[in-house]
Amino acid sequence: MNREELQNRLQEIKNKVTAVEQTTDNRIYLPCEAQNAYAVSKFLFQDLACRFVIATCVDSDDCFEVLYHFSYDQLGVVITVKAFIRDRENPAIESITSFLPAAEWIEREMHDIMGIDFRNHPNLRRLILADDWPDGVYPERKQART
Amino acid sequence: MGAFLEGRGKGKEMKVLFDVLFWILVIPGIIVVGMVASWIVRKVSALVQYRVGPPFLQPFWDVMKLMGKETLVPQEAQKAVFMAAPLVGLAGVLVLAIMLWRITVTQSAFVGDIVVAVYLMVLPSLALILGSSASASPHAAVGTSREMKLVMGYELPLVLALIVVIIKTGGKLDLTQIARHTTVFSISNILAFLVALLCVQAKLGFVPFDIAEAETELGGGVLMEYSGALLAVWKLMQAVMLVALPLFLVMVFLGGFGPNLLAGLGKYVLVVVLLILIKNTNPRVRIDQAMKFFWVYCSIVLVAAIALAITGNNCGISRL
Amino acid sequence: MSWKIWSLKKSPWVFHVNVGACNNCDIEIVNCLTPKFDVERFGIKLVGSPRHADALLVTGVGTRQAVPRLKEVYRQTSKPCVVFLIGACPCGTGIFHNGYHVEGPVDKIIKEEDPNAIIAYVPGCPPKPEAIISGVVKALSAI
Repeated sequence: MNREELQNRLQEIKNKVTAVEQTTDNRIYLPCEAQNAYAVSKFLFQDLACRFVIATCVDSDDCFEVLYHFSYDQLGVVITVKAFIRDRENPAIESITSFLPAAEWIEREMHDIMGIDFRNHPNLRRLILADDWPDGVYPERKQART
Repeated sequence: MGAFLEGRGKGKEMKVLFDVLFWILVIPGIIVVGMVASWIVRKVSALVQYRVGPPFLQPFWDVMKLMGKETLVPQEAQKAVFMAAPLVGLAGVLVLAIMLWRITVTQSAFVGDIVVAVYLMVLPSLALILGSSASASPHAAVGTSREMKLVMGYELPLVLALIVVIIKTGGKLDLTQIARHTTVFSISNILAFLVALLCVQAKLGFVPFDIAEAETELGGGVLMEYSGALLAVWKLMQAVMLVALPLFLVMVFLGGFGPNLLAGLGKYVLVVVLLILIKNTNPRVRIDQAMKFFWVYCSIVLVAAIALAITGNNCGISRL
Repeated sequence: MSWKIWSLKKSPWVFHVNVGACNNCDIEIVNCLTPKFDVERFGIKLVGSPRHADALLVTGVGTRQAVPRLKEVYRQTSKPCVVFLIGACPCGTGIFHNGYHVEGPVDKIIKEEDPNAIIAYVPGCPPKPEAIISGVVKALSAI
């Protein structure tokens, strides 16, 4: 489908996201709350047949953001689901491994480095930190640096 | 040479002097020739790969450096076997090399010496297997099992190839007689020579059959836990094998040190260069591919060669 | 100079250890060992086991997970041996300076294991194969 059809299809999940931002020709952001990210990712992966590229995590001052990047290869468009996790004490989000097993290791890495709990993750063990790294210390969180 | 001196009338004293000189100089001489041969291997490999190779004395410096390093023995290794295995291997190949060169130079062979040579040729592989299984290391254990399978693979075609030549020369088991009577350019002889060349390639541990030593190139394979002086003995053993085994091939298949010494040395260098060229143009094979190659393809070729040799003998056609 | 060191200079066998590198320096080391640069002229050979090695080519900033392993590999290398630190990372942690996983430049780690270790530095990010060869040759002639 071409770009207009893509935009039309994206309107189907408008109630779950706060906006559909098209910043440049090939970049679409879908900011949403953490509890809706699962449904939005499922829509992109299964209904629009996008390819999962990678997931990233950002420590903003008032919340955590988990970004899932999907690519619509026919047009070369990258669609990013931006999930805001407002609870800074116990950040948690639904894991997308139930329909996307490929996300298992990147979610383990985000858990190791940022301390975000992925609910229903099949194997949330330590992945990249050293064996003797102390539990509960999350290296990339902002307060860890100060 | 002894006969030459006797013919000149110098008689017994010169023969005794020559014998004494031979026995004093033979072991250092064989080791030196082994070093030169392993330099030839590295230099020709380098030239084939369009580069300059190591300098002439490089193998000597390798051994000298290894003698100066500390020898580390793993804690759980079987220390007696670990330390005795390289010495046993080196002793075996030295006896083989001395025997073969003495037979060549003095034309004095004994009946059945070809059988002795086959037995002695197994010793270095056996020493490798024992040494690596005494190493108490998982990489060396994998190398051991692969070396054992490889030995089981190539021993049969090697013996069959020798049987081809023994049939062709009418049942002679004496290396000088075989060298004198073998028809070099007959079909069965050429087939047997090619198969035996590949078996010797496997025994020397050259690519495509260097499965045991460099296979776990991640780890070093059978010799992984050896260091220092023991590793120097292994390197010496490999160098001396390079002296003994091509000479064995020359004596059995190519007519020995034929008309004169120069032709014989030329044949020896030819065999070594053939080994190097096969080494440089082939990738390493897996152990199951190697076993299949030796047991299926080589054996079929040799059975055909044996049939050709028998018919050639019976019908009097020497070119078969 | 003892004959041991003299013969070590004539035939240095190398073993490559990666303690947390981005693999750039590893690729440059492997380039060095190809026929184009032909380090076999100097007697340098790549060996598969640290017990056979005279020189350790260490790349990477020393990560926390890799430090005990590097010390074990150093112990397994039969002495006398030389440690070459290839790249900016092992020489002084390079761009990963304040990383959470960095246990310090590699020469500090080696000196904890053996205060008399012979260490040579080849900086660069990554150093060209010509630089690596020149570093190895200079270090060997200075020993």
